[in-house]
Amino acid sequence: MTIYLLCILLFVMGLYCLVAKKHLIKKIIGLVILDYAINLFIVLIGYRPSSSQPGGIPPILFKDIDPAVMSREGVDPLPQALVLTSIVIGLGVLFMLVSLALRIYEKYKTFDTSEISKLKG
Amino acid sequence: MGMSLIVKKVTQFVIAIIFVFGINIVLFGHLTPGGGFAGGVILACGFILIMIAFGKEIALRKVRKHIGHILDSGAALMFLALAMLGYAGGIFFFNFINQGNAFYLRSAGFIPLENIAIGIKVSASVFIGFVTLVLFGRWVDESISGSDEN
Repeated sequence: MTIYLLCILLFVMGLYCLVAKKHLIKKIIGLVILDYAINLFIVLIGYRPSSSQPGGIPPILFKDIDPAVMSREGVDPLPQALVLTSIVIGLGVLFMLVSLALRIYEKYKTFDTSEISKLKG
Repeated sequence: MGMSLIVKKVTQFVIAIIFVFGINIVLFGHLTPGGGFAGGVILACGFILIMIAFGKEIALRKVRKHIGHILDSGAALMFLALAMLGYAGGIFFFNFINQGNAFYLRSAGFIPLENIAIGIKVSASVFIGFVTLVLFGRWVDESISGSDEN
């Protein structure tokens, strides 16, 4: 349970920035921190504690390691491979959010959401 | 244009190291951690460093907009062509190149070639996205200041 503490801390920090700040760019930064927290959580699910090496055996084949032993006792590499696509999706969402924020700035001439929420058509 | 003289000189020293490091991560993707996507992001950060340090006119003269578009689509077509060539072995995406000894650079079939294609594609698309956002922001600034004069 102690290895998930950083994920919970990052998640709470990102959620606070997303909800409590009024500036639009600060909300976008909060959403990016939230994305990093979820990716870190998915990678940490595949961790297997090992008795021979503190910190787990990495899933890399060297010349003198038996492949069967490494696949049984090493850290699970499947969540790491799936998180790669998740990181790319986060990058695409960030590009789209910044374009939307620029478009809102062009129309309302401010980034403050308390002034944008008064709909002017 | 761009930043001060110290930043420009240090960028000229450091940019070669960044590019060689990115190419190393792409090329040895089947032996060490990394591969196409991580190396492509490092190369794109090198291009973005050139753009931040020297200003956008000089950077866009070095890597023009349509060259980025051609590299992006060309690398995707190369990936698809390597996968279609597997039909020579009978199956789609078949590893048809001779797989040499393990733990050497020339091993694991066509995976180094796929890594190179992914590295070129990711670096080109991230840099083109950054250029688009910079030019869009400049256009928004000019249209806002133009409408304030009325």
